[in-house]
Amino acid sequence: MRTTLASVTALAGLVFAATSFALALPLRIPGVAVFAVASAESGGVIPYLPAVFILGIMLMFLAAVVYELLPDRSQTPPRPPAGFGRRA
Amino acid sequence: MARYAMIIDLDRCTGCRACMEACKVENNTPQTNFWMYVFRFEEGEYPNTRVWFMPRPCMHCDNAPCVKVCPVGARYKRPDGLVATDFDRCIGCRYCEVACPYGVNYFNWKRPERNQYLDWMDAEAAAVLAPYTTGAVPPYRNPDLDRAYGPERRRIAGGGHLKGVIEKCTFCVHRVERGLPPACVANCPLFALHFGDLDDPNSKVSLLLRRRSHFRLLEEAGTEPRVYYLGGKPPGSDTRQIETIRARV
Amino acid sequence: MAMRLEPLPYRVGQFSSGTLSLVVVLLAVIAQGLYAFSYQLTEGLVVTGMRDVGTMSGSTWGLYIVFDIYFVGVSFAGISTAALVRLLNLHHLRPVSRMAEVLTIIALILAAFSVLPDLGQPLRGIVHLLKYARPQSPFFGTFTMVIAGYLFASLVYFFLDGRRDAMICAARPGRLQRFYRLWAAGYRDTPGEQERHRRVSFWLSLAILPMLVIAHSTLGFVFGLQVGRPGWFSALQAPAFVILAGVSGVGLLIIIAAVVRTALQAQDRLTPEVFRWLANFLMVLTAAYIYFMLVDWLTMTYAAPLHESRIAGALLFGPYARIYWPSVAALVAAFYLLLRQFLTGRYRIGVAVLCGALVNAAAVGKRLLIVVPSQTHGAMLPYPTGAYSPTWVEYSVIGGLIALGTLLYILFSKAFPILELPEPGQEVVRR
Repeated sequence: MRTTLASVTALAGLVFAATSFALALPLRIPGVAVFAVASAESGGVIPYLPAVFILGIMLMFLAAVVYELLPDRSQTPPRPPAGFGRRA
Repeated sequence: MARYAMIIDLDRCTGCRACMEACKVENNTPQTNFWMYVFRFEEGEYPNTRVWFMPRPCMHCDNAPCVKVCPVGARYKRPDGLVATDFDRCIGCRYCEVACPYGVNYFNWKRPERNQYLDWMDAEAAAVLAPYTTGAVPPYRNPDLDRAYGPERRRIAGGGHLKGVIEKCTFCVHRVERGLPPACVANCPLFALHFGDLDDPNSKVSLLLRRRSHFRLLEEAGTEPRVYYLGGKPPGSDTRQIETIRARV
Repeated sequence: MAMRLEPLPYRVGQFSSGTLSLVVVLLAVIAQGLYAFSYQLTEGLVVTGMRDVGTMSGSTWGLYIVFDIYFVGVSFAGISTAALVRLLNLHHLRPVSRMAEVLTIIALILAAFSVLPDLGQPLRGIVHLLKYARPQSPFFGTFTMVIAGYLFASLVYFFLDGRRDAMICAARPGRLQRFYRLWAAGYRDTPGEQERHRRVSFWLSLAILPMLVIAHSTLGFVFGLQVGRPGWFSALQAPAFVILAGVSGVGLLIIIAAVVRTALQAQDRLTPEVFRWLANFLMVLTAAYIYFMLVDWLTMTYAAPLHESRIAGALLFGPYARIYWPSVAALVAAFYLLLRQFLTGRYRIGVAVLCGALVNAAAVGKRLLIVVPSQTHGAMLPYPTGAYSPTWVEYSVIGGLIALGTLLYILFSKAFPILELPEPGQEVVRR
């Protein structure tokens, strides 16, 4: 479950990053509707692609956080180690 | 679609710099911004010197390094060949300026209203100058410069709009779109500058390129400039400017 | 019955009068920097020493860009040291890991803040870069990979690595207990979690290293791909940037480690062994950079084209000689000292610190020599040669940034242990 979620996050990040990078390149494939968004007003580019790219890269690294943070399905709560606590 | 180019006849140029003035007036460029600049060169040792003059507008390169490096796409190449700067998009990083081999970019270091030859806001100065300008009332702001141009509808004309953005020669896009030549071409007293469509075999520029030998500046840089020079020769290692200009802002 | 709380280790939460005075001084420098920046925002970049290349005979990129590439360079050391510790299992270097990670993060923040004052329209810059940045421009790599990708990756690594110590600190009630709990995010230090963290850190380090190379190479490409700027156009720029990044970063890390060692009395953790390894690492990187410098020097003096030879003249004998030769001397001196240490086997922390300072001074000098001479002396048309002299505005902003970095470092070390807390069983000498 944890692995799945982390993989999904990483994959989503990769998809975001790769797609936004590919769309930002100056290739105009005729017939692809998404380029209609690239209006004359934004100078022939789809706006906010770099933000999506950055988001994609961040998601890929967030997958590590997801993997580490999500609890195990079976986890016995251990006692906390002797650290710096109260000392009378 | 037109394919615009400029031709500069070095055999005719006398270095009068009327083109520099015309460009300034037409485009309202602030102080020290010389979109059109005329080099006054000297070669050899006195008294055996040769003096010659070279106007230098923006080259509007086909393979422009400035277009390649602009991080936000403010500097772009139009289909008609003009390399334009969208001053609404420019973030003032000056990457185009360092990338250009020709040194044609000018940054608005100061607030433009503080950097004009006349204070645009000063009604008193305007009143004082009115008797000398035969009716034309300074300060003069070209109203064409604030409009959007081209099918892309971007604001690319004129200079001194706001501080912190780059500007350069636009081949007077606001005139060219009306069928007029750039201000420098229109005002040269010796007809040393020509402008036209290279795709039209009967245009002045096409005829001149066919008839006379020509060169372009810094061809080895691979920039494919659109400004051709007739006669003369490119500046060499022994070419130096007569006066050392150091424009101060 | 009064409870006396045991203090957190490594002076977390304890401000001595010395620290407080330093903080006050740093705040004053930051305030001066902010004042200078706001002055620049009102009047425009004319208040700096930068001017147009060409007819204005200036340098259009100056101190801001020099320190931007310097800070990005410094950030190299942090995360690469942490990554190498993981990947090569260099356990004896674990104590410097967190210091290195904090250095990376702060250096990248400073790098981002160093570019903003350089933009003519900073606010517009942030919005338009997010909206319209083009991959065709080398700045795209700098902006997305360095500032967003690399910084975020380092933050993730840092967050995950600090969870254990956060958990230990959270066990004790205090002002920052909630902050520690948030950071620990439920970490229990079970063997399962430890193993998981080890695995994740390994793969994260593996993923960060290529990003690091891309980030520094892109920065090199910003300069190396400009055909119109003699002196910049070179295939060596990207690799040289990576190596010089390593040199300055490891050097600064040595200095910081020595300061922490003295300030926190951490001689037991930051052993001479740690400094020996770092010094040797620095020696190898310095040797590599000297090699790059020799190659560059030979190429530009042997048969360089006209414009490159003009720049070489300016660097070796002209106005930049007074920066060039001292930088070269500092690098060579540092290498000599480090090599002597290595060959004799007699290592001293003081020597490592001195070399760290020398290479950083040389790195700033070299960055300046990369950025400025190609603009003042590298015109391809016969413009007059230029000059560049930073003004008080630039010095104030850069000084403010350095002070900000130092302040952030100090504040962090007061909020969280700057050294990794030892494994259970190891004693921490508490002061």
